[in-house]
Amino acid sequence: MLADDAMDCHVLVIGSGGAGVRAALEAAKYGDTILLSRTLTGKGGCTTMAEGGYNAVLRAQDSPALHVQDTMEGGAWLNDPALVEVLVREAPERMRDLLAWGAVFDVTEGREIAQRPFGGQRFPRTCYAGDRTGHEMILTLVEQLRRSDVVQLQEHVAIELLKDGERVCGAIALDRKNELVVVKADAVVLATGGGTRVYDISTNSASGTGDGYALGYRAGAELIDMEMVQFHPTGAVYPYDARGRLVTEAVRGEGGVLKNALGERFMERYDPVRKELSTRDVVSRAIAREVLEGRGTIHGGVHLDVSHLPSHVIEERLPIMLEQFLRFGVDIRKEPMEVAPTAHHIMGGLRITPECHTTLAGLYACGEVTGGVHGANRLGGNALADTQVFGKRAGEAAGKGGRRSIRIGRGQVEVQERRLERFYAGDTNPAEAARQLRLLMWEKAGIFRSEEGLLRARREISRLSGLIPLASSRHSLVECCTLENMLLLSSLIVEGALLRRESRGAHMRVDVTQTWGAKDSSFGHTVQSLEGRKIERRGA
Amino acid sequence: MKQITVKVARYDPEKDAAPHLEEYTVEVNEGARVLHVLHAIHDTIDPTLSYRYCCASGQCGSCAVRVNGEPVLACLEEARDGMVIEPLRLTVVKDLVVDMTGILTTLEGIVGRGEAKVPEKEQVERLKELRDCIECLACVSECPAIEVAKFSGPTAMRQRMRIALDPRSAGVEIAQAIEDGLFTCTTCHRCVEVCPKEIEIPGKAIEKLREIANREGFTLPRHREVAELVKTTGRSITRTKPTFLEQVPEVIEPEGEVRGEVGFFVGCMYNGRLPEAALEMIEVMRRNGIRLIIPHDQVCCGSPLLRTGQTSFIDELRRKNIEAFAKRGIKTVMTMCAGCGSTLKNNYRTPFQVKDITEVLTEYGIEAPEKLDLKATYHDPCHLLRGQGIREQPRELLRMVAREFVEMPSRCCGAGGGVRSGLPEEAKALAEKRREEAEKTGADIIVSACPFCEFHISESTDKPVRHIASVLLEGYRKKDRKKKVPAA
Ligand SMILES: Cc1cc2nc3c(=O)[nH]c(=O)nc-3n(C[C@H](O)[C@H](O)[C@H](O)COP(=O)(O)OP(=O)(O)OC[C@H]3O[C@@H](n4cnc5c(N)ncnc54)[C@H](O)[C@@H]3O)c2cc1C
Ligand code: SF4
Ligand code: SF4
Repeated sequence: MLADDAMDCHVLVIGSGGAGVRAALEAAKYGDTILLSRTLTGKGGCTTMAEGGYNAVLRAQDSPALHVQDTMEGGAWLNDPALVEVLVREAPERMRDLLAWGAVFDVTEGREIAQRPFGGQRFPRTCYAGDRTGHEMILTLVEQLRRSDVVQLQEHVAIELLKDGERVCGAIALDRKNELVVVKADAVVLATGGGTRVYDISTNSASGTGDGYALGYRAGAELIDMEMVQFHPTGAVYPYDARGRLVTEAVRGEGGVLKNALGERFMERYDPVRKELSTRDVVSRAIAREVLEGRGTIHGGVHLDVSHLPSHVIEERLPIMLEQFLRFGVDIRKEPMEVAPTAHHIMGGLRITPECHTTLAGLYACGEVTGGVHGANRLGGNALADTQVFGKRAGEAAGKGGRRSIRIGRGQVEVQERRLERFYAGDTNPAEAARQLRLLMWEKAGIFRSEEGLLRARREISRLSGLIPLASSRHSLVECCTLENMLLLSSLIVEGALLRRESRGAHMRVDVTQTWGAKDSSFGHTVQSLEGRKIERRGA
Repeated sequence: MKQITVKVARYDPEKDAAPHLEEYTVEVNEGARVLHVLHAIHDTIDPTLSYRYCCASGQCGSCAVRVNGEPVLACLEEARDGMVIEPLRLTVVKDLVVDMTGILTTLEGIVGRGEAKVPEKEQVERLKELRDCIECLACVSECPAIEVAKFSGPTAMRQRMRIALDPRSAGVEIAQAIEDGLFTCTTCHRCVEVCPKEIEIPGKAIEKLREIANREGFTLPRHREVAELVKTTGRSITRTKPTFLEQVPEVIEPEGEVRGEVGFFVGCMYNGRLPEAALEMIEVMRRNGIRLIIPHDQVCCGSPLLRTGQTSFIDELRRKNIEAFAKRGIKTVMTMCAGCGSTLKNNYRTPFQVKDITEVLTEYGIEAPEKLDLKATYHDPCHLLRGQGIREQPRELLRMVAREFVEMPSRCCGAGGGVRSGLPEEAKALAEKRREEAEKTGADIIVSACPFCEFHISESTDKPVRHIASVLLEGYRKKDRKKKVPAA
């Protein structure tokens, strides 16, 4: 493969979830845009799986200030206030874009967009399309994309970003035939989504392996708050292979109650006011504690019950939940679900400005791969809004950036060729190494963390990183690259967790006794890059 | 953990001349899905196995494959020992991976009028029925019309109707929809059967688009003639010989004890074109103690109009038919035409029950006929199998009367949806495929339970094509002949 065979474009967007497609649509207004993604366009990532909804201030009784406050409070004041301002202000505008493009959201009798209550919010501001909100968004966005000039490179996996000096200027990817392709671009938008697939129990799709964090880090970008991993309180626990599959928060939003094996509505003890609709970090820890202390079900979960609701409400508002549980022999109209926490969302990520510049010239980022918007804990419904608000901004900023003549040294491609070559002489089944890693992360870097456990995790990750994943044929090259990314992401999570000697939002250090609350914590972001890592001090 | 052995289709076009099945035995967890079996093969036996998946929760539509011939989502379908896993019937890229992009890029979106005014609640409800599609292409891979005609396919039509329904869109180009094959759909419901979201594409998209075509004057000339005929005569078939209704009284008493009573809805085909078969059916009912009440004021059920989008006087037909049976106090109406049965069951709200003859006979239980020295195969009428969910009953009856019964794959014969009259070449091409399948079985006779299928298939084959009731009658006659000639 010669660097001269490269494809060329003005903006290269990596990832075709909600953020990536939105960015590509916007970037295309300014020049040739390529949308490259690991999966078929729109089918990968987590956007299409998102069920519950999209937060937007639409009613006079609600206010942007309240949405900001809910988001900051939910995020344990670790959020970047400038990003939160933008999110809240523009979420309604981006919702209007979706509606203009034909999105079919649920409406009220009065022909207004319907909204439901979600955890940690003082106003029901979560807009929804049944419980397939993300799917509705992706359908709408992809329909627009099909009519646009954006060139789609589907089932292409980005394995490294390209640089021209200090500037990011494209990416190297493996195509459908597992051959190297080079795409040069004036600007690159990273929209690769999250990575909780590094945990044994996870809600994420198969592409949630954190490639973007790894690509950004290796290229030299700064990442913040990587220890902030959200454990969603309600994931399926049975059957084994379906463990972690999300049971949407809408179930609680619609009135679902949590009970332990003794039949106690235990949330009354942990958060007497908000109960089931407390923030996710609180509910997750409550469930984990109930199970740890022996009040869980035989499958290691608790009960989530909607059977007191009228059947038609369940059928209309939670059709996917109904269908999915029926497949496993549980009729949620009549009996409770069994649930337990599951790794759901990575709040940390690439550091961005409100214009979605990362700390690297030429590199922009949006969606779950970024950090700062959601602080230490994300509110349900804010991530879908995030994809649209920052997707548009990233596409626009990248599109408006200048054009340049790009030189890529042959060296960068050769480095990748050697990287892949090495896998053919590997010594480890990547599937087995990934399995070990996922168990390790769940045990040592999960809901409850301690220095001792995290140090164990660090040692194990470094051991696994020393192995060389084996590619028995070119069909396994992607898997080998993915394993490397998973190991890098895991190490970023663990290092962040070691740096942060406090419990904050989703991050719980059981070995730290703490006298301060989140609001007056002196700690700011944890920051990691090739340059080193540190935790920032507030007001310092 | 449990052990499970499966066969998987493997094919690497760069190396293999043709796909072949490979057997694997793997360990999986209790409750494992097909996808987890594929993971186990990939992770522990052969990392070169290619298959597509992503969300693993039935939402992204990446992982559709065929299990024992039927399309399913690998992530939702429970794994079973001995299953055969094959790719969808689309162009195979490698192993279980098929080319999807070619089709997906053609699915168009809404061309907005720039107005963001949202639809009303009712409109949203109707849109949602068409909006669940996860673009898995199972429907496209199984649609018979696509095989033989120029047709953009079920999900593309679903999308068209979704656009038509949306107040924000500038509307649909119905001429383009026709160009893309709107009239090639036989309404066989195969797409609904395989759709993981059970989207009612023929009823809620295709027939509705045909209604729009009708309003805009695009109905095919042959279809218009049929509508005219129904309007003027109450029948969709011209009278060329004495009809069934002209030959029978209103009430037909059984021989011997009365075990039951049903109203009989004859339908245009058996009334006008194949009255002999309906008369043979009468003998079977009499013999089995079932009284038939046959209102002579019944008319066409409206199926040929509904299927082709010509619905302007359908209410009138509905009213007449319901009245004809209701005023005689009939509790159960029996059909022997799959198309009429499906229409009465799905497009009418009747004060009486509707049952196919195969349901009536198996529920009452029938006198055993003498076995005929025949190897028989059975063609599932689409409107019986999928329109009414009737699979076992006709087979049960057939096994009673045929020496040997052999299955053939159930596929549409091409007669339905107005295709036989409107696009005869397509209909012929599909019937031809039926002939080939039937020949492969080596059967002497093709048995079915729908006059449209029978008439249509019989034009493509030398083999006899008969309604199950006629075959039963032959069995009874053989029995009687035997009785008359006692063994020496
Ligand atoms: C089950 C579930 C339910 C959720 N429900 C909600 C909800 O109700 N409300 C809410 O606000 N949030 C919800 N979330 C969170 C939200 O869906 C995600 O945070 C958000 O959709 C992320 O969007 P994204 O565009 O950043 O990434 P994704 O949608 O995850 O897309 C990532 C894209 O990047 C591609 N990609 C990844 N790596 C590479 C690579 N190396 N090369 C090329 N392409 C690559 C993938 O193929 C994919 O196309 C939910 C998440 C999950 C998992
Ligand atoms: S009803 Fe049959 S012919 Fe019509 S679109 Fe569906 S599968 Fe194709
Ligand atoms: S209509 Fe159903 S079968 Fe067809 S692509 Fe959509 S989800 Fe799949």
